Amino acid sequence: MNSTKIKLAIGAISLVTMTSCSKNLLNLNPPDSIALGQSFQTVQDAETWDGGLYASLRGASYGGYIMAPDIQADQLNATIDYGNNYGGIHTWQGFTAGDYEISGEWSAYYAALANVNAAIAGLPTIQTTSTSDAAIVNECLGDAYLMRAYYYHKLVLRWAKAYDPASSSSDPGVPLVLKYDVTALPARATVSDVYKQILSDISTARVLLDGIEPLADDRTTFTQDAVLALEARVKLCMQDWTGAKAAADSVISTGNYPLITNQSDYTSYWANDDVSESIFQLNVSPTNEQPNAENMYMNYGVANNDYDPNYMPTQWMVDLYDNADIRKSAYLLNAQITLSGGATYTNVWLVGKFPGNPALQSAPAPQSNYRNAPKIFRVAEDYLISAEAAVQAGNAGAAIAPLNALRTARGIAALGAVTMQDVMDERTRELAFEGFRLDDLKRWNLGFTRNNPQNTAMLVGGANYLGQTQAAGAQKFVWGLPTNDITINHNLVQNPGW
Amino acid sequence: MTPQKTNWSRSPRIGVPGALKWTAIASLAILSTIETPYSAHAGEIRAVFAAKPVKGIVRDENGQPLANVTVTVKGTTRGTTTDEAGNFTIDAEPGDVLVFSSIGTDQLQQKVGKGDHILITLNKKDKSLDEVVVVGYGQAKSTATAVGNIDMVSSKQLQEKPVADVFDAVQGRVPGLSILSSTGEPSGQVSIALNGIGSLTADVTPLIVLDGVQVQLGTLLQMNPNDIADITVLKDAASTSIYGARAANGVVMVTTKKGVPGRDNITLRTQYGASNIADTKYFKQFMNSDELANFQVAQFNSGFGGGYSQDTINAIRARYGNVNTEWWKYYYKRNSPVFQQDLVFSGGTSKTQYYIDGSWLKDQGIAYRSEFNRYTIRANITSKVTDWATVGVQLGGGYSVNQTNPSGSNSTNRGLFFLAAPYYSPINPATGQEYTYIPGWNHYNPKYRADNLPNPLNQIQLNPTGFLEIRPIKGLTFRSTAGLDGYDYRNENITIPSLVFNNNSGSTYEEFDRETKMTINNTLEYQFKIKDQHTITALAGQEYIDDKYSYFNASSAGQSDGRLTLLQNGTQQLAVNSDASEYNYISYFGRLSYSFRDKYNIDLALRNDASSRFGANVRNALFGSAGLMWWAKKESFLSGVKWLTDLQVRASLGSQGNSSIGNYQSLPLVGTNTYNGSNGYYISAPGDPNLTWEKVLTGMIGAQFTLFDRAHFDVSYFNKHTKDMLVGVPYAYTSGFANVTQNVGTLLNQGLDAKVNIDVVKTRKLLISPFFTATYVKEKVTSLFEGLDHYVLPGYGFAWIVGKPVMYVDPIFAGVDPQNGKPMWYAPGTDPMKTNKDPKNVVEGEENFDGDLLQQNTGHKLNPPFFGGFGVDATWKGFALSIQFAFYSHKIIINNDEYFYANPRLFFPNNQSKSVQNYWKQPGDKTQYPGFETQTWTEFDSRLEEDASFMRMKIATLSYNLPHSILDKTKVIKDVKLYVTGRNLLTFTKYPGVDPEVNSNLELGSYPNTKQIVGGLDITF
Repeated sequence: MNSTKIKLAIGAISLVTMTSCSKNLLNLNPPDSIALGQSFQTVQDAETWDGGLYASLRGASYGGYIMAPDIQADQLNATIDYGNNYGGIHTWQGFTAGDYEISGEWSAYYAALANVNAAIAGLPTIQTTSTSDAAIVNECLGDAYLMRAYYYHKLVLRWAKAYDPASSSSDPGVPLVLKYDVTALPARATVSDVYKQILSDISTARVLLDGIEPLADDRTTFTQDAVLALEARVKLCMQDWTGAKAAADSVISTGNYPLITNQSDYTSYWANDDVSESIFQLNVSPTNEQPNAENMYMNYGVANNDYDPNYMPTQWMVDLYDNADIRKSAYLLNAQITLSGGATYTNVWLVGKFPGNPALQSAPAPQSNYRNAPKIFRVAEDYLISAEAAVQAGNAGAAIAPLNALRTARGIAALGAVTMQDVMDERTRELAFEGFRLDDLKRWNLGFTRNNPQNTAMLVGGANYLGQTQAAGAQKFVWGLPTNDITINHNLVQNPGW
Repeated sequence: MTPQKTNWSRSPRIGVPGALKWTAIASLAILSTIETPYSAHAGEIRAVFAAKPVKGIVRDENGQPLANVTVTVKGTTRGTTTDEAGNFTIDAEPGDVLVFSSIGTDQLQQKVGKGDHILITLNKKDKSLDEVVVVGYGQAKSTATAVGNIDMVSSKQLQEKPVADVFDAVQGRVPGLSILSSTGEPSGQVSIALNGIGSLTADVTPLIVLDGVQVQLGTLLQMNPNDIADITVLKDAASTSIYGARAANGVVMVTTKKGVPGRDNITLRTQYGASNIADTKYFKQFMNSDELANFQVAQFNSGFGGGYSQDTINAIRARYGNVNTEWWKYYYKRNSPVFQQDLVFSGGTSKTQYYIDGSWLKDQGIAYRSEFNRYTIRANITSKVTDWATVGVQLGGGYSVNQTNPSGSNSTNRGLFFLAAPYYSPINPATGQEYTYIPGWNHYNPKYRADNLPNPLNQIQLNPTGFLEIRPIKGLTFRSTAGLDGYDYRNENITIPSLVFNNNSGSTYEEFDRETKMTINNTLEYQFKIKDQHTITALAGQEYIDDKYSYFNASSAGQSDGRLTLLQNGTQQLAVNSDASEYNYISYFGRLSYSFRDKYNIDLALRNDASSRFGANVRNALFGSAGLMWWAKKESFLSGVKWLTDLQVRASLGSQGNSSIGNYQSLPLVGTNTYNGSNGYYISAPGDPNLTWEKVLTGMIGAQFTLFDRAHFDVSYFNKHTKDMLVGVPYAYTSGFANVTQNVGTLLNQGLDAKVNIDVVKTRKLLISPFFTATYVKEKVTSLFEGLDHYVLPGYGFAWIVGKPVMYVDPIFAGVDPQNGKPMWYAPGTDPMKTNKDPKNVVEGEENFDGDLLQQNTGHKLNPPFFGGFGVDATWKGFALSIQFAFYSHKIIINNDEYFYANPRLFFPNNQSKSVQNYWKQPGDKTQYPGFETQTWTEFDSRLEEDASFMRMKIATLSYNLPHSILDKTKVIKDVKLYVTGRNLLTFTKYPGVDPEVNSNLELGSYPNTKQIVGGLDITF
């Protein structure tokens, strides 16, 4: 049976050939990622982590992050074409802790914090061989600390009561996660503890970023001035009037950020993402670095050669601006709109502050994707902080200089004396549609009535829309913790009213 | 428009067809005990002389003509088969022996006499020993003695259906197999699941095996359904455990056709017909111009905001010519053509058989930018090279060019087109031409969009498999199979620069994807008998599967000339991306089968799998099963029971695995983004080093029996216990992640599968045979994670509740308060996972509506517990009629569209359903909707949970075979078949939404299923 042996041999050879699979075949790694444990080895790793943290911040800025609180507040009305976009938050009704506006923002900040925490733990483990390398790693570490302070301040503003020195040590703040640990189920820290952590991180960042100066044409990374800008903002919220004013004045006195005083430069600053007034603004580019879009305010259509917005500023908001104010035509657009039903309205005012950077899109203007570089710290805010801190501290005289510097730069008359109302109005004017208004109302303990709309034929009627009124301290000024986290983390306590 | 909840479709579900095991299957098989013309030792061709045509007819014992009976001249390669009327013609000389064989009949040999006409009667068998089934690796087994629970659907039920996806034709045919078609998109794919949804979030599609090689479900869409010989569904542990890994959801084996020795044919099939919306009821529920105008005036007059004054609406209507447009007729096309053509060459000798087919399918969808053009080729060739070695190849190739309509979900360019007011017009009254941009509605014409925003896709599919079989000694078989499931996929997305709304600035996106799944398996099988009573088969094998996927894409913008739209013609926003992904499996397995006189049959299987997807220390898993089949009718004490024609009892128990998750999920990873033109790091995946197999323990018992030789029953009970489920476990966002895939929880699916087939009329001329299949599944979540007793999936409208099936969870609407017109909801009880409808405890007024606080178990199950099908197969002379219905009962979906069409204040000035006219006006009104004071008329509450139970006439076919008395005169044409087939011709449902067949928790802007009527002509030469 020689042939049988041959046949068996053929079979056996085939079998052996085809079973020679190695166990190593099972150890596969994706080409688009590396193992977390191997990402802190070189100075280049430190820089790459640094870039990643900024990219996350870009993803968690502008767009819905500023539109949602503004649409909730009193500066905007819904048009009949709004299509229920941001409907719950605008009407304050059916606005629940499960809504995306809440979960999206909360989860983006904590996802960014997970990376920040991983970087804070990992960057110091990088072995450096030269002082220049060590300086790079230190700067990256400083960026991470400042970013952590920034995120926690955002979180405590939206999800906790305004800082009240009397009760902050018992008011619930937000969970403080300071180490990357997926399994942690943290309870809420007090407002006081959150602010302490923020100040601690700012202090750490101040040391690490000491000597990091801004470039004339590039404001896309943190500097020692950015540390001061955040410190001023945080201390204003903490009612540390002296500290806030000192930090704000320090920024102003660097002279690095002259206020723009003419119309064309100011319009260009917003439209083209110029950098002059920016202490820190995020880098954007048309391919891989597109920022979020402010897409509720204009919506230009070629067919009618006009606009079809979802939200429009109230007439009250429009009337806040003097015609001589260079902010008026930089922030607002007088235009024609066509709504469903074919009705056309001319000479109406739209939010024009975010017309879209032409460099980020291919279609010619006025078509736009409504994306602009997020301006995180602008020097104008520091003028306002300086003025407000002075007034709040009972030293209104010291507010005159910074407030008038801003007013005259923008083309409106200087004031002889400054009241708190002057400061509030100026802050509302200057920082309009940048997402500050709701937090400011909460901080000032004010309610609002969404009064004085433009032509109501364009707008959704009803008491929840046009006449929306909220008392000072209304519960939904403070957002609810996302349902997801309340469900899973039993250590969390929900805010009242949610 | 932003919906309040996002659509969440379940991963594709599984299903496959199986025909009744006791119906004859139109493929050939051989009795193992009888020498046949194409068996190993009869292959020599000898000279034939003086042969002349011998004609005959073959009938069964009732005189019914038998089709597809193989007739061969013993000792030669000559052969033919009988036609539908039982006729055959074969060249033979007196003295030759003709061998007649067919599935389901005894074999018969007849010597040719002087006369040239032969009448043969073949006895049908209760259980065909010659009907074989491939049960996973190794040699095919006789279905009669198969231990596992197996269902089979033959080509007869799969052929010539006007749909690209073969599984669509199987809906309702196989008990336990849920098949749902969620879309009318011509390139849409069904979702399949077997005996319940076996996992909470991992994929539940069964393992698909094409000619012995694992393939993706989508591969079948790229094949010609007419090339499929049969589809076999393996359901229980006894049959699936040999597939271990991923067999938890069942196994579906698809076998392509082979040539028949001695039956060299050329077949030309042509089919042509038209597609339309399957059920237009939904599209007729929206208000007409007068109704909407009156409603909007009433809204205005209510003074609560919104609405139009009479003067305003009059002016608007006059502006657009006082028309009443039915927009659905504008957004969907009518009578879209469907066309398919096949050309098949098949046949062979006892040594070598071939089957070669080319086909072309053209299916124009009913929406714009929706079409499927498919070209396929297949060559199946098998050759017995020597008496101990056989080699075969199945080469399948396909090329498809298609477009899929992108405007689903909440897009107003199709999905929510109904918001267009009927008093707008698509036609410019001044010119009589269609508008490019429809004024008032402020949307571009869908045809215009289609012409200027093309997104063609094309795919080249390659499915070559080959095998080598060596039988060195009697009983020992070595078999090696290797195959590829591969495709190249190309996608272009172009904005033509001249497109008005893009203001002369184009863009181009190009994508190239490739996926290859390579399978190599080797088996060694040894079969021997002891004393002719004990049959023992032992099999050992090994398998390696490697799947590689990669893509790259590029885009640019700023193209300025419609004739030059290449990437390099765009000068701005140049971007490139690429990625790749890979997984593999290494497996070893064995099976031991024992049979005692066919009466007692035992199967034992064992398999070890290692998968790259799991943690390094936990990637190995061992699966096993034991199965028993008792052929009770063979017992002497039953042989005398005349009414009981046949009885078999089966039981099995075993484990299988599921690994249907993404790759690399056990690893903590850092991915990259971009800042300031450089790479940045971010933690892209948390990873879980303990990630391992999801395991299912399946027990099944069942019986098959036949009464009075007419009524066939197959009933089985199953119990599937899933543990270590692969679940995207929700994490607190403070962790940095929304969920992490881990092994948690347990799930139980228990139920019954039943199939009945009764030959009501069985006479010489007429056969009427109705069938019925039904499946009942009782689902129960038995444990979750983090110690939770329930978990509500935020935004999805359902919850996992321990001790219950997956249930819908929403606020329960309690009606409109007749006193003040305010909406009311039942206040949930202390346990919101228990339905609490206390009329004395309601929450009233939209200002008090909080979807999170009011949500409770609405008593509706996510997965329909009862489904099946029924139909009838009948033949009369040359005519054949086949009707097949499918039904699903207690099927509930959230009709998200209703939120948009029953919310006149929220979505003013858009059109709405006629039903909103039933609103509250004054105290005492009992109405469906609240008054104008209320802003949101329809909340996300129990009202949107609509009953989507349905019954659909899936297939109705009437065919006629021309008599051979006519065809024989042509001397060329062997067979001619004419037929008319309808698909989805009738739909019965209470569902008010687009289509009840949508397989998801939520339906939003669905592409409605279509119905087709096609005529066909098959000619065989």
